[in-house]
Amino acid sequence: MSPLEFFADHTYRIVFAGTVVIGLVAGALGSFAYLRKQSLISDVISHAALPGTLIAFLTAVVVLGTDGRSMLGLILGAVVVGTLAVLAANGLTQATKIRIDTAMAISLTVFFGAGMLLLRVISNGDYPGKGGIADYLFGNASVITVADLVTSAVVGGLALLVMGVFWKEFALRTFDPAHTSALGFRASAVDALMFITIVIATVIGVKAVGLVLMVAFVITPPAAARQWTSTLRSMVALSAAIGAVGSGTGAYLSIVLGVPTGPAIVLTLFGIFAVSIAASPRRSVIMRGLARARARAALRRELLAETGATSGGSVASAGAGGSVPGTRSDGVGQS
Amino acid sequence: MSTPTAARTRSLSVAYRSTPVLRNVDLDVPEGVVLGIVGPNGAGKSTLLKAMLGLVRPLTGTSEFFGRPLSQVRQRVAYMPQSASVDWDFPATVSGVVGMGTYGRLGWLRRPGRTEHEATLRALEHVGIADLAERQIGELSGGQRQRTFLARALAQHPDLLLMDEPFQGVDARSQQAIVAVLHAMRSQGRTVVLVHHDLATVRDYCDHVALLNERLVAAGPVGEAFTRENVRTTYDVTDTDALADLLT
Amino acid sequence: MSFAVGVLLLAIVTAMACALPGVFVVLRRSSMLVDAIGHAVLPGIVIGYALTRDLGSPLLILGAALAGLVVVLGAEWLGRTGLLTGDSPQGLIFPALFAAGVIAVTLNFGNVHLDTHAVLVGDLNLAAFEQWIVGGVSFGPTYLYVMLAVLAGNIAFIAIMYRHLTVTTFDPGFASSIGIRTGAVQTAFMFLVSVTVTAAFHASGAILVLALVVVPAATAHLLSRRLPATLLLAVVIAAGGAAAGFGLAYVLDAATSAGMAVFYGLLFAVALAIVKVRERRRHRQRPTVAGPSSQLPHPHGLHPHRG
Repeated sequence: MSPLEFFADHTYRIVFAGTVVIGLVAGALGSFAYLRKQSLISDVISHAALPGTLIAFLTAVVVLGTDGRSMLGLILGAVVVGTLAVLAANGLTQATKIRIDTAMAISLTVFFGAGMLLLRVISNGDYPGKGGIADYLFGNASVITVADLVTSAVVGGLALLVMGVFWKEFALRTFDPAHTSALGFRASAVDALMFITIVIATVIGVKAVGLVLMVAFVITPPAAARQWTSTLRSMVALSAAIGAVGSGTGAYLSIVLGVPTGPAIVLTLFGIFAVSIAASPRRSVIMRGLARARARAALRRELLAETGATSGGSVASAGAGGSVPGTRSDGVGQS
Repeated sequence: MSTPTAARTRSLSVAYRSTPVLRNVDLDVPEGVVLGIVGPNGAGKSTLLKAMLGLVRPLTGTSEFFGRPLSQVRQRVAYMPQSASVDWDFPATVSGVVGMGTYGRLGWLRRPGRTEHEATLRALEHVGIADLAERQIGELSGGQRQRTFLARALAQHPDLLLMDEPFQGVDARSQQAIVAVLHAMRSQGRTVVLVHHDLATVRDYCDHVALLNERLVAAGPVGEAFTRENVRTTYDVTDTDALADLLT
Repeated sequence: MSFAVGVLLLAIVTAMACALPGVFVVLRRSSMLVDAIGHAVLPGIVIGYALTRDLGSPLLILGAALAGLVVVLGAEWLGRTGLLTGDSPQGLIFPALFAAGVIAVTLNFGNVHLDTHAVLVGDLNLAAFEQWIVGGVSFGPTYLYVMLAVLAGNIAFIAIMYRHLTVTTFDPGFASSIGIRTGAVQTAFMFLVSVTVTAAFHASGAILVLALVVVPAATAHLLSRRLPATLLLAVVIAAGGAAAGFGLAYVLDAATSAGMAVFYGLLFAVALAIVKVRERRRHRQRPTVAGPSSQLPHPHGLHPHRG
């Protein structure tokens, strides 16, 4: 399918726009999770959000009698329960000898397991619109409506607006946690705001790309962007761009190749990351490795030359007496 | 070479990535002494111990113990890491941790037997914590933790003990107990190397000293090497008051 | 053996096999790495199935487990480059491997018949479908014997490597100093975990296998103060919770692993309450006693590398 045909189709246009919005928001806000070294927290949020989306569905259908798949309700449910899960994980580390990795694993699996039970209860029951909810796991971009698109754009836009308004506080808190409180900002308030925006970035993709793979939308663009940039501003901008372009491209490929959208985007993003880490001019893995090896070799030569000049005698005697094999310096000392 | 050496490094250099941490350290540790390694933060003191033990890969140079490479004399050398480096919530008792000192001798399939059990008990008594043997390690104070680590090293029956900051976060009583053990080892002709923070106690605890700041500034008997001039050079202080602060 | 009993036994044995190495996973702070392994083995299973045509094949299990090692070693390598921060290395690799696996499953690559739901939470009934029948008598699901072999392998590995595992987990620096190759122990152990996770995949899927590995072990860690007790308790909790979780899932007609995860969560909450009550009572009895001394300040404890 040519891009022209692709964009001529209304559904495909919506899929494209929907995934681009998700990629852009997650890419921009994921930068903060990445820089604060808490990337995997988004994995906990996205999995734990499952029961939240289902409770929102049930509330809408049973209590309010409205369409259970409204995007706003899903996001709300996901944000509330995803946040609860993270608070539970953090609380565990403070109250017990359980460490954060285990606390995250417990929170993630127990919430997700409860979600899977609830999912079963719903699909065994008689609820209108229940057909689509299994899609929350891997996502189904083709069911996004214009209203969904508008909702996620507005919610995502609000999260980005918060980031813009509190840019200075976010930046300070990210790079110099000790400093923020000294400046008089309420550190915990900034943390809460930043955390909420990260949660929104994580759950915004519920319907289109699913909860299970959202972690990649939050981690991969910033990790790729970081290799090309050195300021926060440029990193967030590039990360958002990578998220948007990668998601759009992945969505296009998924439709052309007939594969699920979420996984296709994840692989596209990973490709961008792999290129970034291999080929970025300043932080390429290959160039860095070479440069480091060269610097170590130069340092080594400098240090060896020093010993030859100042204490050659003692080195020679050390070389004679059963030195650790495998290090090459003893021979050089004698020359 | 007149006196036998317990440990010797030649041109030992270490770099983390490409930043040098140690440069061409030539250190001789004579047998039967307590040698303190002193120097400012970031001087490479802990790194020197780790490089000697092969825990970090040296950029240049060699280390040997009792005239041989470490792999041939591993049983004679014990290492006591900083106590802050481990998880004290680990489900183990004091005697369990001390018993780890005997693992090096046991190899793969042999299980700890009576010899190991007795070595563990003796080590516990030696550092004065036999009454804590069945305590969960998380319930210990800072000083008791260090004594547990020391007992674990003693259970190895080492001829040379390398200690990383043994007095860190330790109460006065535990400090005295540890020092007594070190001096007892010395009187048996065994050797101790310790990374030390407090210049004021160097003369009391150590007979030899090595002053380190990336390079070895000076090393030798305390009376010869531990001079104001050498301390000044090592800590890079020019002010006399600051120097006096360091030494008291 | 009736089908339901076979499924129940399979659930119990799988849970025990996972919980045993889980104790060391928790103590080594590698829990989220197991999450990554659980996802990463999916493409390995798909390729393995295309080659062996048998989901219970030992070759498939060992081969697919190598995909789990890709995450472990890949994340270690990425971390060492110094180009990435925090826990992101593993978070970068496993979604990509999992995505590749999901695409392969949906394209029916190699005719592997897994629905995407089973990929996430497993399908115990499917795993128990093939029965071992000798002379007309059913000896339960054949896969039960695969899991029993994995359980036996885990018991043997931990028994033989007990001291090596303990000392490298507690104090890797000291372990190296007495001549133990910590890196080799870590790789061997993570491969064991990866094999276990792969074998348990059919029972619990990519995500909830994490619950089987981590939650009983963490519960046991809360309650016990000696490693042998922790191991024993973890296995008991795993088995008991598996039976109860099986019942819960049976009633709700849901995936067994989901019932197990939720029930393990309940057990963990109960254990947490017990520990907290015990702590409070001890405080009341001996008000002068300091809390667990892990909470004591380490005034100089914050310069780990040099000094």
